[in-house]
Amino acid sequence: MLKRLFLILVALTTALLARAARSLACAVCLGGASDSVTEGYNASVLFLMATPYLVVASIVGGLVFTYRRALKRNEKAGEEALVLSWKREDSSR
Amino acid sequence: MPKSSTARKLDDAPTLTEAKRPSFGSGPPPPVRPITPIGTNAWLGTVMLLGAEAMFFAGLIGAFLVFRIGSTVWPPPFQPRLPTGVTGINTLILLASAVTMRLALQANRHGEQARLMRMLSWTAVLGVTFLVIQGYEWVRLLHFGLTVSSSVYGGLFYTLIGFHGAHVFGALIWLLAVWLKARQGRYTRQHDTGLQTCSMYWIFVVALWPILYGLVYLY
Repeated sequence: MLKRLFLILVALTTALLARAARSLACAVCLGGASDSVTEGYNASVLFLMATPYLVVASIVGGLVFTYRRALKRNEKAGEEALVLSWKREDSSR
Repeated sequence: MPKSSTARKLDDAPTLTEAKRPSFGSGPPPPVRPITPIGTNAWLGTVMLLGAEAMFFAGLIGAFLVFRIGSTVWPPPFQPRLPTGVTGINTLILLASAVTMRLALQANRHGEQARLMRMLSWTAVLGVTFLVIQGYEWVRLLHFGLTVSSSVYGGLFYTLIGFHGAHVFGALIWLLAVWLKARQGRYTRQHDTGLQTCSMYWIFVVALWPILYGLVYLY
């Protein structure tokens, strides 16, 4: 069974390599590098690639800001400073 | 202040400082450090919602960029120009609503109930004004022939600006619910999660607008 599967894979790979130009079809290859549509796609892809990092950075920034504010509030109220800890006795509360 | 809900009962439950930890053996219970949570679950949920919303609008902006940069002539010929002046003033109105929302939060933190109500009302009025001006401009643009199906330009304009308008409308409904609760005196310095999450959403919607205005109207 495994031998047959291996033979099929080899046959498929050989066929793809023989027709490499066709198998490398690109859905968004619309023109030359300086084509305006290509530039539009490139800008859009870069923007969409950067956005998740911006979103995550905003969330982390917000958490750090809130944590620091909570620390200050606790200090003002005379409570013990808030500690984010992975110690077992703390995480069980 | 009503105290009937389960959440209120949980809020009124003894804090960890007062609660006794079960002792081990016959000795005294170990001391418990006071723990103040840095945020609520609702806060975290709202952050997640805003992250998803940001990605949604990023997708729409990405589509806009493809067509905008891909076109040599923008706006396309025989299409009406967008009203940049009026919308610029409208942008200032929406930005002012973020300031009043922030002041509402501040008023609640200081325990100023009347000021809280006043600031929430101003936020709602500014939000409604923004939507009314946007609606008026849309009607004018439709008369000039800019429709969703008239061109890619019209389709992108109504999709991007329309979704933002829908979000402002949703935020207004949320604000109305918060306003009603604030009138009943449900928000205090300790219990302000509803107000806080509403203000987060409002400020997100406001902060998004200058980006859309710059891209769709000015770029």
